[in-house]
Amino acid sequence: MRLGSFLDANSFRRHRLAYTCAAGIVVLALVETGNALLAPLRAPTDRDWRAAAATVRAGYRPGDLIVAAPAWADPLLRLHLGDLIPLTVAGRLDAARFGRIWEISQRGARAPETQGSRVVQSRRQGALTLRRYERPAAQVSFDFVAEWNRAAVSRVDGGGRVSLCYRAPDRFECPDSPSQSLKPELLEIDTSPHFALSIPLAGRATTVVEFDRVPLGRELAVGAGLHNVWLRKAGRGTVSLRVLVQGRELGHIEAGSMTGWTLRKFDTSALAGQSQSVRFEITVNDPNSRTLGFAAEARS
Amino acid sequence: MEVGQKTRRRWGRPWMVPLLLAMATSGWMLAVEGRQGLARDESQYFRAGERYWGWFEALGDAVRAGKPGQAFSRNVVDSFWGDNHEHPPLMKTLYGLSWRLFHRCDCTGPKRGLHPIAVHKHRTLPLFARESTAFRFPAILLAGLGVALVYWFARRWIGPWAAAGAAVLSVAQPHYFFHAQISCFDVPIAVMALLVALAYWKSLRAPRWGILCGVFYGLALATKHNAWLIPCFLLVHYLWMRRGDFSSWEPSKGSQTLRPPTCHPSPLASLGLARWCAAGKAGGLPTRFRLRPPRVPLAFVSMATLGPIVLFVLWPWLWHAPVPRVREWMQRHAQHEHYNFEYLGRNWNLPPAPEQTGRWLLRATFPFVSTAFTVPVTTLALAAAGTLVFARRRRKKEPDDQLPIINCEPPEPGARASWLRPGADVDLAPGIFLAVQILGPLGTLALPATPIFGGVKHFLAAMPFVAILAGVGLAWVTRQAASLVTAERLRRALPAALAVLLCLPAVAETQRSHPDGTGHYNLLAGGFAGGASLGMNRQFWGYSVLPLLPWIRAHRPPSNHIYWHDVLHDAVLMYVRDGRLPVGIGDVGVGEPLVAQADLGVVILEKHFAVYEYLHWEAYQTTQPAQVYAHEGVPFVVVYQRKAPSPRQEPLPP
Repeated sequence: MRLGSFLDANSFRRHRLAYTCAAGIVVLALVETGNALLAPLRAPTDRDWRAAAATVRAGYRPGDLIVAAPAWADPLLRLHLGDLIPLTVAGRLDAARFGRIWEISQRGARAPETQGSRVVQSRRQGALTLRRYERPAAQVSFDFVAEWNRAAVSRVDGGGRVSLCYRAPDRFECPDSPSQSLKPELLEIDTSPHFALSIPLAGRATTVVEFDRVPLGRELAVGAGLHNVWLRKAGRGTVSLRVLVQGRELGHIEAGSMTGWTLRKFDTSALAGQSQSVRFEITVNDPNSRTLGFAAEARS
Repeated sequence: MEVGQKTRRRWGRPWMVPLLLAMATSGWMLAVEGRQGLARDESQYFRAGERYWGWFEALGDAVRAGKPGQAFSRNVVDSFWGDNHEHPPLMKTLYGLSWRLFHRCDCTGPKRGLHPIAVHKHRTLPLFARESTAFRFPAILLAGLGVALVYWFARRWIGPWAAAGAAVLSVAQPHYFFHAQISCFDVPIAVMALLVALAYWKSLRAPRWGILCGVFYGLALATKHNAWLIPCFLLVHYLWMRRGDFSSWEPSKGSQTLRPPTCHPSPLASLGLARWCAAGKAGGLPTRFRLRPPRVPLAFVSMATLGPIVLFVLWPWLWHAPVPRVREWMQRHAQHEHYNFEYLGRNWNLPPAPEQTGRWLLRATFPFVSTAFTVPVTTLALAAAGTLVFARRRRKKEPDDQLPIINCEPPEPGARASWLRPGADVDLAPGIFLAVQILGPLGTLALPATPIFGGVKHFLAAMPFVAILAGVGLAWVTRQAASLVTAERLRRALPAALAVLLCLPAVAETQRSHPDGTGHYNLLAGGFAGGASLGMNRQFWGYSVLPLLPWIRAHRPPSNHIYWHDVLHDAVLMYVRDGRLPVGIGDVGVGEPLVAQADLGVVILEKHFAVYEYLHWEAYQTTQPAQVYAHEGVPFVVVYQRKAPSPRQEPLPP
């Protein structure tokens, strides 16, 4: 039996565009139905995750970074490998200090942390792809968050009066805002984790965090942003973080409710190998509901 | 032969198909609603609904005591109806009534103290195993009614199979389906808007529907405040339909005359200037232009009068202070705070500053992009085809055999329009009607002045009309196929076959999405994973904890200190009443400082809730969750468990 005996060929020729569109909708319906039935089967299973995690564990070395791609799969990654991802690594300034990165990806995604790295190992684990990347890691000569207790913290009011903040075992407490303390902690900035120095801002005095004899390298990486989604929503003020080395300003970062996490890398190659004082000055035009978090690393 | 004729006659009854569609819809939802967790707002409406029922019990007691007036005193009314008074009571009252009638009562046992009102052993018709299902039943029935209404409405323009297809497509949308089966207001108000629109449409030719329009509008007002916008959308259609009334030309008495040009009436007719042209051709000059608005039709009079009366009667909270309380209700929603909502990778919770034009524009795209990414793609394609059909109908003016729509409501010859039958003498402009009903709710959410709500749920009222448009598209596809096929038997089978085929993707997508319809994205977006990669909102209301309850139950910490995050205490109580959690399960409460006090913590994964996850990391000194609930590999909920004993070990009181 021929198809032509069922179809009106003349009619088709006269209304070709309309028929093509109608046929397109029918084909779309078939494709969409097929996709709805098959797509759930393409999702990674628990078995895929366990197999990928076992491979990572077999080759893991302390100091390795493990990431998920896309980033929304991170909770599943941590379910299987969270014991290898401490808080400080999860809240890293960036990935520059990691020379080996394990990436568990799906649907062809690639983690931004692996940019500029070469793949040295790749393996399919069901719907997941496990890759190990390597690259020369940045040498951190000074981690300002880890070395927080080497800082001198003070508050400078509008008249230039300086009041020193007291260093407790786990924090700094300033006399003009005793309820608020400066300390290293895991902060939520731009809905991401950042292990940073937390600086709740009170009044209009400038907060100064100064580190003496910092061994500088080729660059100074500084990241900053405002902590806590509810505070960002409630407050209006803009926080300014000035970065000075040996009294000379390298640059500054402005942090507002919508600026997120800003990472800047200042060139310090002229001072590489020297030990200099590094000073961070924090001012705010409206301190209400503002807590700044900043992290910094001097790198070779 | 006679039996066959009788059967055919029964099927031919106009209410039979919509009834079956409604029953199938409600049956589908009842079969699957138990897999969908309790939403945060829903749990508050459970509580309010039960309290509202409590007032009826108090009324019964007062009548039995011979003092019925007591139940109407301000104190008594407010003690019951003051709960959750930011939303009107109709649906909550129905939820409470349904609970009272249909739950399986074990109210006097250990769960007695979990009710918001004093309960005693009562006789019920125990249709449902879970109390939450009894609460949800009215919403599920109303969703069925919505499907029937879509069929009725669509039948005005298209055949039965295409109309049935439209009805199925109206509910076979993952986000709509999610909201249709829970005790909230978003699908109920969409159904009410459809009901009012249907009554308005029929009132254009039949006065009794004008009266009903006001009554239905009152019900809509008593459902949700979105009802305020319904007359605005209808007004736009009415003014368009009667645009010819705006101008009239009269013989001039004075010097202020305008000479009409020699013109072809067709293009000007659409601008309401047909009479000007006619006057010019007839030589009846000079004439004078007079602006004259069309008559106010019965439907609007009825909505303006009966609507508030019905609202007032149904809402006891208004009875003792109607004006200030209506003002309070309106101000609450007019000055609503901005919600947190994830859209295209950003968390939106503040209006962009005036100088941030790009952000303003990006925000304005939200309802349109969300619609494009959440409604099944085949439905969208059919709706696009339906749009072209109506556009072509308007261009052609004359009836066209190529168009699949039935022009069943042509202007009546010789009929004169009146306020009782305002559409008697004109084309009813169905294309504009549907366009306004679709673009109205979407456009409102796109306005910069509208608070950030987020969520497809806020413009679900557009979706039944999108489905009707898709039904017209389905009729068009069927017409094309039928005109190509020569075999008669095949041609006869086409409407049914194509209706099934073209509804299949929407049904399959909806089934696939359940119970996480809010996280579902369509083929264009790439499904659950694609939506997550695009940075689209995944969920809200903390409903998604349900699959983890057995694990939580099994791993309840000895201290009983559990942090439930966005799972409201009312929802925890209902899980207990449903038997899904043990009586006495702990709840440390909400708030950031309480995270550290718990030994087991739930975090609902929404972008702005990241802070709660990091609080758990700090408190439990680990980034490793104990459990993750994911749908198609996309995480929805994580649970953290403290490994080392917490400093506080005294058990929480149940």
